[in-house]
Amino acid sequence: MGGASSSQSRIVKAQGHLTPGHLAVTLGVLAALALAALVFAVATGSTEVSLQESLVALAGGGEALSRTLILELRLPRALAAFATGGLLAVAGALMQVLLRNPLADPYVLGLSGGAAVGALLAMLAGLGSALISGSAFAGALTATLLVFGLAHGTGSWTPSRLLLTGVVVASGWGAVITLILSLSPARQLPGMLYWLMGDLAHARAPGAALGLLALVCLLVVPLGRSLNVLARGGLQAAALGVAVRRLEWLIYLLASLVTAVAVTTAGSIGFVGLVVPHMLRLVLGNDQRLILPACALAGGTLLVLADTLARTIIAPEQLPVGVITALLGVPTFLYLLHRSR
Amino acid sequence: MFPRLPVMLGVLLAVLFGLVGRVLADEVCAIDDGGREVCLAAPAQRIASLSPGATELLFASGAGDRLVAVVDHSDFPPEAVKLPSVGSHDRLDLERLVTLQPDLVIAWVTGNPAEQVERLERLGVPVFRIEPRDFEGIATALERLARLAGSEAQGRQAAERFRQGLAELAARHADAPPVPVFYQVWDSPLMTVNDEHLIGKVVTLCGGVNVFGDLSRLVPRIGEEALLAADPEVLLAGGRGEENRSWLDYWRRYPDLTAVARDNLFFVPPSLLQRPTPRLLEGSRLLCEKLEVARGRR
Repeated sequence: MGGASSSQSRIVKAQGHLTPGHLAVTLGVLAALALAALVFAVATGSTEVSLQESLVALAGGGEALSRTLILELRLPRALAAFATGGLLAVAGALMQVLLRNPLADPYVLGLSGGAAVGALLAMLAGLGSALISGSAFAGALTATLLVFGLAHGTGSWTPSRLLLTGVVVASGWGAVITLILSLSPARQLPGMLYWLMGDLAHARAPGAALGLLALVCLLVVPLGRSLNVLARGGLQAAALGVAVRRLEWLIYLLASLVTAVAVTTAGSIGFVGLVVPHMLRLVLGNDQRLILPACALAGGTLLVLADTLARTIIAPEQLPVGVITALLGVPTFLYLLHRSR
Repeated sequence: MFPRLPVMLGVLLAVLFGLVGRVLADEVCAIDDGGREVCLAAPAQRIASLSPGATELLFASGAGDRLVAVVDHSDFPPEAVKLPSVGSHDRLDLERLVTLQPDLVIAWVTGNPAEQVERLERLGVPVFRIEPRDFEGIATALERLARLAGSEAQGRQAAERFRQGLAELAARHADAPPVPVFYQVWDSPLMTVNDEHLIGKVVTLCGGVNVFGDLSRLVPRIGEEALLAADPEVLLAGGRGEENRSWLDYWRRYPDLTAVARDNLFFVPPSLLQRPTPRLLEGSRLLCEKLEVARGRR
């Protein structure tokens, strides 16, 4: 075993030196960017509130109106955007390691489909917003357990088998979503479509999502070394003494829980979970100990910026946040890809 | 020791009761379409309307001058166009709405996002939800909104005019020979209304028989074949915009349809029928006239 773990650390070293100093500086810079994005989000809106007034309101002072705008409307929404973006990016990074597939994202195994079916059924039944969230969460967990059960039940298990199971189940969910949409009263369609596009206007108290984001970061960092090995292939990881099957299921369940909370908070926002991990890998290299916490910060920052623009660009009209995430993310990603050649 | 104490107490009590009485006299209450009673300490001065229909109802009930915010497509009466918009009815800019500091928000039960309306309530803004589903619902909405806005006389008048107009139409067509009618809400997918829908009720009022009236959904999506099989005597359509007749011309490819053979293809401006407002009376008159024309072509 000793030999295995020393060769494991050799491999990790070969991927590039990650010193504590490097880690701290990178994460420090990303955290500063995240904070700047949050301040920008809180100070920007369809109503003019100066930066100074915003900060005064954040501290609990100032006029009642600006306090309401900042503390009741903008801050909870910005924090919800940050948590959602961070969770999706972390889940995407985990899924890409788990499935060894660069196209994997948090939704690839049908989790968002299950959540959407739950949410749309609740909307169809005319339930309140709290029950819609609850129903979405239940749908996400159902989807997770369904894929887990189907892929687990078979004797031989490989990531590609999990991927195929998940993708097929996801198409099944897609069909159910289309069925619900076509049977729903016309008046409910806009709300349903906005949910499917992802919309932070519905985001409720961000506390739980933020807490989970912090918890997941603490949880996955100790796993980073094993994830690094796993990313290079299951056989190699097993040879190096990693309990592959257990680690893979742990990643799967963790990523699913994280995605379920994100989707419950703001609907199925696309793009962040797929592209943010890739962007960071292009810039920072592929060391999971750095990539995972960096995903939490960068994913959150991207979604905060995108949501701020979505609610202000053509105010009072409100755009779906997914439009802006893609418009900001696609050129950035292509630039990084081009530069890395 | 204090011989005048009872007198003073009496005066004090009288003053207090007077004050309470004044406060209570200013308080206005109404029951919304969510079944909840909404009370304001005084008639609303700054009203926000979250649907084009509510905007029309507010103007009709004499509260138009107290409107401070509307949503997109609030195009009637023309004064409404000049009011500041707070986004579309299904995606509100809450920030802009809160900044306008309304003391009463008129929400739309199924049209506005429930979460956003609930958040407004949590911020302490009184919300009155409306969604008239029949003629009487429109009339009482006029009265209830007028009560909250302190323009009761005007509201009652508007409601009476509306009730009376409809009663006249009903009396005139009570014994008219029935006409099988198809009302087209949309062309692709092909959509119509059932008898529960306000438009369905107008068809019935005018002595028409909605060929898809028994379907269970309020706005059913149907197939072209079903329409051909139902063979209505009259085809009515709204359309995109106010002057688009292309939907009706489409049906001319089926010359064997009774409605086409008799040229009973009629256009009714959708804004007169598709909003639950007093203008529905005007739309109803038009629709009844069309059915009269069809009866004349038998």
